[in-house]
Amino acid sequence: MIRLQLENASLAFTVRRHKRLTLKEFLLRGMFRRSVNPYMTVNALQEINLQLCDGDRLGVIGHNGAGKSTLLKTIAGIYPLTQGRRTVNGRISSLFDIALGFEPDASGWDNIAYRGYLQGETPKTLAPKMQEIAEFSELGEFLDMPVRYYSSGMIVRLGFSIATSIEPEVLLVDEVLSAGDQSFQDKARERLAQMIDKASVVVIASHDLKRLPSLCDQVLWMDHGRIRQIGPADEVVAACLDESLQPQNKAA
Amino acid sequence: MQLIGYSNEIWQKRFFWMSLVKADLRTRYRHSWLGIGWSLMHPLAMTGVFCIVFCKLFNADPVTFGPYVLAGLAFWNFLSGVTSDGCQCFFQGERFIRQQPAPLAIYPLRITLGMLIHLAMALAVLLVFVWVTQGFGNYRVLWSLLPTMVLLFAFGWSVTICMGMMNVVFQDTQHLIQIIIQALFYITPIFYPSKLLRDHNLGWIADYNPLARCIELIREPVLYARLPSMECVAIVSMTTFLLSVVAIVLLRRMEQRLIFYL
Repeated sequence: MIRLQLENASLAFTVRRHKRLTLKEFLLRGMFRRSVNPYMTVNALQEINLQLCDGDRLGVIGHNGAGKSTLLKTIAGIYPLTQGRRTVNGRISSLFDIALGFEPDASGWDNIAYRGYLQGETPKTLAPKMQEIAEFSELGEFLDMPVRYYSSGMIVRLGFSIATSIEPEVLLVDEVLSAGDQSFQDKARERLAQMIDKASVVVIASHDLKRLPSLCDQVLWMDHGRIRQIGPADEVVAACLDESLQPQNKAA
Repeated sequence: MQLIGYSNEIWQKRFFWMSLVKADLRTRYRHSWLGIGWSLMHPLAMTGVFCIVFCKLFNADPVTFGPYVLAGLAFWNFLSGVTSDGCQCFFQGERFIRQQPAPLAIYPLRITLGMLIHLAMALAVLLVFVWVTQGFGNYRVLWSLLPTMVLLFAFGWSVTICMGMMNVVFQDTQHLIQIIIQALFYITPIFYPSKLLRDHNLGWIADYNPLARCIELIREPVLYARLPSMECVAIVSMTTFLLSVVAIVLLRRMEQRLIFYL
């Protein structure tokens, strides 16, 4: 069964070179037809074709700004496509920016509930999971404190524990394990490996080229918003490593 | 139809926005001694001040003039709440918008429901005050407050959506709207009797101002023991309908693209 399909998908957005458009500028521009604040078009994704079926494990690699995160967010439905089609069958769970998405004034417990509800839980389905989420985060009494006072490591712990509490069909992961202390990172790795085993389709964006082939069977190499290469994990990772070893050839 | 599917999605996320509304009520007054009572202090204190000054000026009786002003201020607090907090609703929800796709209308909904609860509390105080001081001539007309609340809810939600969207695109909106609301405050019969306008041939301000009509929906049953006129209901309904059309059009156009403006 096809779980996830992108057909000729492109995403372009315009940003102002200086700052947000102001009302003054809007009126002036309207009157004089001359912009002092030009648009810049960013082609974040261009003509992406991708098809993932049950059991597929896809790694996404590329330089910073190559479009890895944008691709994941597009698959998740957070970014719209400017062209092409996106089809997703199944419940999506996404692990990116897990440190975001908290109400700073509410306690850890409350935030577990908000995020849980946002992920589609109901009080009935969430209640049995609350304790488990709390235990995994190892935050103990801190959960009674407003999230405002948490350290960044604690926030990542909480975010990761909530986001991994559901059993997704489509799992999207973006460099989640870059924060938290060593012991939590090990624990998180293990949990992630379990989730990857259970999920039907997994897409992981990572810079860790060495570890990626052990998690994925296919790798997609993004470059400037386009697919540079897609294929068996070892092959693509080797090609990518090859190029980064010979940066002078890249100019050609 | 798309609209039904959209409403359905909003309903599916009900536990999310309901818990946020609860959290807003709790955290807003977290460190204060009076707690949620502060939301009542503002209209009550203002009513007191207006009474002291204007009862003399207009030669009015505080027992009737007090509730008259309080009814106006209760609505006005609601209006200024949905406009000023509405401007921030999508920025406030940004942390969730970037996490998980959900219908955008839930963030304005969160603001509107909070403000509606404050309005309901102010109305409860008003009802108790009127009941104690003069009693109600007709209890049955008080039921009209229920459909009024529903209408004001739709009105508030539409305003919040429009404000939020406009402010995301033009951040000047939040400052501009404060001035507009302040100006409207003076041309709406809140702290002066609407009869005064009619005496000076300014009756049209009270007649064609939908905001004055919103207040009338509250004042008529509570203060004068009669149902609001059909004309009044029609004007408020029409305004709400037009605003909701604008809100739906804005949502349609921006639902997908809003994230690029945040």
